[in-house]
Amino acid sequence: MERQEIIDGLVEILGTVRTIDPEKLKNVTEETDFIADLNTPSTELINIAAKAEQKFGVEFEDEDIDDLGSTVKDIVDLILVAKERA
Amino acid sequence: MENLLGVSPKDNMLHGPTKLLLDAYHWHQPDFGIVASYTPKPRDVEDHFGVFRGVDQIEAFAQATIVSCGSFNECKKHHCTPLALKEKFIPAFISIGNVSFHHYVAEGETFISIGIIKFYKFRQMVCDGRIYKVAKGVDLDAYFRDFDQDRIAAYDLSKDFTLVAELYDITGRALKKDIFEKAEG
Repeated sequence: MERQEIIDGLVEILGTVRTIDPEKLKNVTEETDFIADLNTPSTELINIAAKAEQKFGVEFEDEDIDDLGSTVKDIVDLILVAKERA
Repeated sequence: MENLLGVSPKDNMLHGPTKLLLDAYHWHQPDFGIVASYTPKPRDVEDHFGVFRGVDQIEAFAQATIVSCGSFNECKKHHCTPLALKEKFIPAFISIGNVSFHHYVAEGETFISIGIIKFYKFRQMVCDGRIYKVAKGVDLDAYFRDFDQDRIAAYDLSKDFTLVAELYDITGRALKKDIFEKAEG
């Protein structure tokens, strides 16, 4: 699975989060920060991770989420690691 | 241990005695929700008109629901005691949704928190629920003995229970202690 494909899937997930301005989703890159750039509430990050598990057919460990950074790159990396682990 | 019935909250909770706002568990289904009670003590209403504060109702609800259920689930997952959890984690509020207050609770008046789990993953739990004041003399263990999920979800209670508060999206997470240690370092 290509990184861009994962980013596109993440943007679809982010589109379902009502607190995120859809305009801000037009230019999401790996450097985009969920908190600083998209104003995502911290409580939503867990929901996004849970939705990403479903969308990409992976399973994250609690510790993965503890150590997760707040950029798109961080979650793309985690999805790829989780896919490899599976 | 299948659930928290028969467990003393002080053995399941990490809070010290003056901050524990929970006396007993009356119904618990780990994947669904819980019913627990508390009776405010003199220290809980001191300097506050003899009534239990609204913020303390939210704290009591959180202790009864997200903290109790979360601790139980994590202990089960890690095959450990709450005391062992205390070494690694701190329960923290993540967010509080809407809360509507309908009534008050005075010193010596027992109330129950009914919490229904909406989400639980990555040590984060979200509960909706209600707080009800209980008429004097109700045996809560006996009352809830035959309750099932449907009755809990419908708040199918008798007139012995007075609605005190409705709470939505009460969210908490067990945070790893080393996060705080790193911040202090």
